[in-house]
Amino acid sequence: MSAQLILRSTLPRALLSRRALPASAILIRHSTTDAYAPVPGGPIYKGTVNDPTTFPPPSRVHGSYHWAFERLLSAGLVPMTIAAFVTSGSQHPILDGLLGVSLIVHSHIGFDTLLVDYIHKRKFPILAPVMTWTLRTATVASIVGIYQFNTNDIGLTELITKVWTA
Amino acid sequence: MMSTRALPSLRRTAFNPAFFRSHAGLRMVVPKRALKTQSMPPSAMTEILNKQRLNRPSSPHMTIYQPQLTWIASIANRFTGVGLSVLLYGFSLAYLVAPGTFDSAHIIEFVAGLPDGVKYAGKAILAAPFTFHSFNGLRHLGWDMGKFLSVKSAYSTGYVVLGATALSTAYLTFM
Amino acid sequence: MSFLLPTTSASLSGVLRRQSVRAFTSSARVAQAEPLQKPVLMKEFKVYRWNPDEPAKKPTLQSYKIDLNQTGPMILDALIKIKNEMDPTLTFRRSCREGICGSCAMNIDGQNTLACLCRIDRNPNKDSKIYPLPHMYIVKDLVPDLTLFYKQYKSIQPWLQNDNPPEKGTFLSLSPEDRKKLDGLYECILCACCSTSCPSYWWNQDEYLGPATLMQAYRWIADSRDTHGEERKERLQNEMSLYRCHTIFNCSRTCPKGLNPASAIANIKLELAAE
Repeated sequence: MSAQLILRSTLPRALLSRRALPASAILIRHSTTDAYAPVPGGPIYKGTVNDPTTFPPPSRVHGSYHWAFERLLSAGLVPMTIAAFVTSGSQHPILDGLLGVSLIVHSHIGFDTLLVDYIHKRKFPILAPVMTWTLRTATVASIVGIYQFNTNDIGLTELITKVWTA
Repeated sequence: MMSTRALPSLRRTAFNPAFFRSHAGLRMVVPKRALKTQSMPPSAMTEILNKQRLNRPSSPHMTIYQPQLTWIASIANRFTGVGLSVLLYGFSLAYLVAPGTFDSAHIIEFVAGLPDGVKYAGKAILAAPFTFHSFNGLRHLGWDMGKFLSVKSAYSTGYVVLGATALSTAYLTFM
Repeated sequence: MSFLLPTTSASLSGVLRRQSVRAFTSSARVAQAEPLQKPVLMKEFKVYRWNPDEPAKKPTLQSYKIDLNQTGPMILDALIKIKNEMDPTLTFRRSCREGICGSCAMNIDGQNTLACLCRIDRNPNKDSKIYPLPHMYIVKDLVPDLTLFYKQYKSIQPWLQNDNPPEKGTFLSLSPEDRKKLDGLYECILCACCSTSCPSYWWNQDEYLGPATLMQAYRWIADSRDTHGEERKERLQNEMSLYRCHTIFNCSRTCPKGLNPASAIANIKLELAAE
């Protein structure tokens, strides 16, 4: 899956080189300005060679808060996983519920990182939002699904233990 | 092609002072170029540059870069994470849509009916990504706390992760 | 050289004189002898070629075979020999030939390094593959377009900023401890080996700053004389500029100067999280 995404990130360049052919045929300077418009990841850059690149607007939610939350959640998964190994889920339904939700949020952040890395909206203005909303829907539905499994059935830890010894 | 190849030798003769001393008359002739320049406004510069830029190929990357523990382990971390997450999402969504088919009783019954070889293979296939992603996750948490941040420790912790993955996978498969 | 020893007694000096005469005659014989013929050690180099004058032609690997015993020890020596003696159209950047200018950065046998610091593997049965820095737009042959890299370096404002400049005749003080914090950061020569070894930089180089620029960003954040640290850090508070680093460690692994950009970036992340 990742390999495909990686390949896809070079797609704009392929499109760009195809666009380059008619662009070089146009001789009138004013009409060629659009052909030389900077494309994210393309060979033409914004501004002159002496202009510095610009930064996106600062946002701690997308910056350090996001990073710190991700690390704290990952660190929290360590004791939860160990506890899940030594106890059984039916005795500790709260641990089971917490583990299910934490794992799905951890997975959500991971999937979201894939989207930012390989299918960012600056390169894929239509596909990226579609994927983001698909992911959000899937995450919410998964949390509901795992909650129902933990409450109506034997729960995640117990299931894994029983499947493992089946 | 031929003209460019001929140039260096021509230049060598042309700039050799001894050559000029002996052929004083040639000094007037040789440096003159047969090329004609075309006058262009300075505003045309960007356009010429951009025209060239659009032709430029992107150099090869992943296919030619030496496989190293650093980035191979990082890719493995991502692949194992995606694999486990897809499984978790898949099961949760399946239970949400069809709780009667994907309940614990049915799953356990299905697994119990599998031949032993398939069971062991399945356990290994699940245990290896889980243990690798967990141990490598601890390695990443160490880095994020400012520990093991040298190339040497990045490698030694990497080998520890691989060893721990192999041992724990074997244990989980045959327990 | 025995004839340079001080003579203490007549008999000893006589012995020495005889020895020295012998030494002279033997050295004269060596000078007249045939020069030692080194065996021919041919090695194949495969070099990435692309010519902007023929843009329709796809980039290719061109093979050159040279005698290692008639070549200097480094990859750069081999490239210069090829350019001088075999193919003057081969294009690459080089300047100092001693690892301080950073011009000859390229991908040699799969690793980004400086051609002038990279020894030739003397195994004649294995060819050496030389590519330009990975995932960069190519100007010609081994010359990548570093425009964006320099524009990004400029964006972090790589100069000392202090709102309380010292009075005339005095200077900003820097304690030995604070000076030590800059070791391993200021030595960077901006050869771009690390940034172009980073998969995150490959996929998102228009927005992600990359290890070289981020290490320099930290070089100014860590400088006790700089009073604009908060603004420097605030600029990195977004999804792309800094946090595309996933601690892959390719940067530190490949740095030809032995620096550690991965560690510098980890320090920035810790400082941002501690705010």
